[in-house]
Amino acid sequence: MHRKLIRACVPYALVTLLFAGVSAPLGAQDIQTQELGRAYWHVFAAYAIAWVVILGWIVSVARRLARVEARLND
Amino acid sequence: MNYLRQLRAVLWKDLVVELRTRERTISMAGFTVLVAFLFNHALDPARVDVQDVAAGLLWMTIVFAGTLGIGRTFQLESEDGAFHGVLMSPTPKDAIYLGKVGANFVILLLVTLLALAVFGLFFHLQYGERPLVLLLVMALGILGFVAFATLFSAISSGTVMGDTLLPILLFPLLVPMVIYGVSATDRLLAGRPVAEIAGHLRMLAAFALVAVFSGAGLFRFVVEE
Amino acid sequence: MSRRLSWAGLLPALTGGIMVLVLHWLVFFYVPTEAAQGLIQRIFYIHVPAAWVAFMAFGIVALCSAVYLWLGDERLDMAAVSAAEGGMIFTTIVLLTGPLWGRVAWGTWWTWEPRLTFTLLLWFIYLGYFMVRSATESPERGRRFAAVLGIVGAVDIPLIHLSVVWFRSLHPQPVVLKPEGPTLPPEMLLTLMLGFVSFTLLFFGMTHFRYGLERTRIEAAGRESRDGGIEP
Repeated sequence: MHRKLIRACVPYALVTLLFAGVSAPLGAQDIQTQELGRAYWHVFAAYAIAWVVILGWIVSVARRLARVEARLND
Repeated sequence: MNYLRQLRAVLWKDLVVELRTRERTISMAGFTVLVAFLFNHALDPARVDVQDVAAGLLWMTIVFAGTLGIGRTFQLESEDGAFHGVLMSPTPKDAIYLGKVGANFVILLLVTLLALAVFGLFFHLQYGERPLVLLLVMALGILGFVAFATLFSAISSGTVMGDTLLPILLFPLLVPMVIYGVSATDRLLAGRPVAEIAGHLRMLAAFALVAVFSGAGLFRFVVEE
Repeated sequence: MSRRLSWAGLLPALTGGIMVLVLHWLVFFYVPTEAAQGLIQRIFYIHVPAAWVAFMAFGIVALCSAVYLWLGDERLDMAAVSAAEGGMIFTTIVLLTGPLWGRVAWGTWWTWEPRLTFTLLLWFIYLGYFMVRSATESPERGRRFAAVLGIVGAVDIPLIHLSVVWFRSLHPQPVVLKPEGPTLPPEMLLTLMLGFVSFTLLFFGMTHFRYGLERTRIEAAGRESRDGGIEP
């Protein structure tokens, strides 16, 4: 059951990654042309961490739910 | 009056048990002296003036010793179901809690006096003209500490992890006590006027009040079956 | 299927998710660079909303814990543990993004400035909450212990906050919650507000699903014990 859920999330995640992947370097360029610009990797690391943690939580809840429902349906 | 009598009974019982076995007091006292001994060797006198850090070391020693000793508060009675007997008596739960807090407070206060003596001796601390104020600071601090520690000792005794869980539950909440207690002690040791630590005393008192009241209110939920 | 993906959970979660995407666009294209700190300041737009959610979540945990002990309704404990998990997630985000910001803005990975200190303590209080729940043999006792911890944590937090703030202050002065009103330029304020709203929606959506998980778990346990199975 949880495979269906993951499969449903995949296009969502892909769009998000595409969006992030396209906008990040563009944004970095744009920001570099602003006055005080040095592209710090820290900014992107911070946003990446937030993404990973939140997506990780979503996946964790989905997995646990699938496991419990399997138990329930036995 | 009945309530107070019951409270006193619990307090007295715990103190008498401790007086007879002395196991907690001795281990806490031994810990205090040995830690002070190790601290002396842990600090390089060429780089650190011990007087500067003595207040912090003192408080941390008392926190560790207290955690060690108070963690055993409910251990004696957990054997042979003795605690069930205590709970089934008509004594209200918060009286049991306050009695235990009182007993732990007396024991830890004695250990604190020992710590003050040992640290004073080892690190040449001057207790100044107002040692009683220093004692007040310590007493307020450890009252709050004992209140929280007793409540969490009841909790951790009910888990499979036992005593090892106690520091994790307790230490985050001790920050106000450590901050204001150490700062006040530091100033007193440096000979600053008492007026400077009025705010510290207020915060330590607030901390103690919060700890005692929340402990008394929540203890019944911890011990009910 | 409808039980798991109810609209009560999906709506805030998806709305929050979409708003987060919009937030990214705002952060990287719309908002001007802050004069003093430069690029690194953009972490602010996820660091601060995450902190807000973390603290709000703990308030929910404390409230639900208190009423749970008072009324004994298990659903309150289910709400508390769900909020606690979300709170811990966002607290982790604050603690990981803060040092990244601090490394560039203040030159060091960790500083004892009050808000980071406070958030670290909150993380440990959350940790204690979960440890106490799982370390008991009887789940009912574990829930009660956790509720007590939630309440004590909430009661001590004002004192912790006061003492930590008094102890050291390196943190940039508050730019939003000042008595004269926010002093951020409007673009930054808008972005920050979007951050607050989107994270909050995300939190509530996810907490709803977590609540559903808890309810399913209890249902499964109840069914197993009825059928003579093993206690969870």
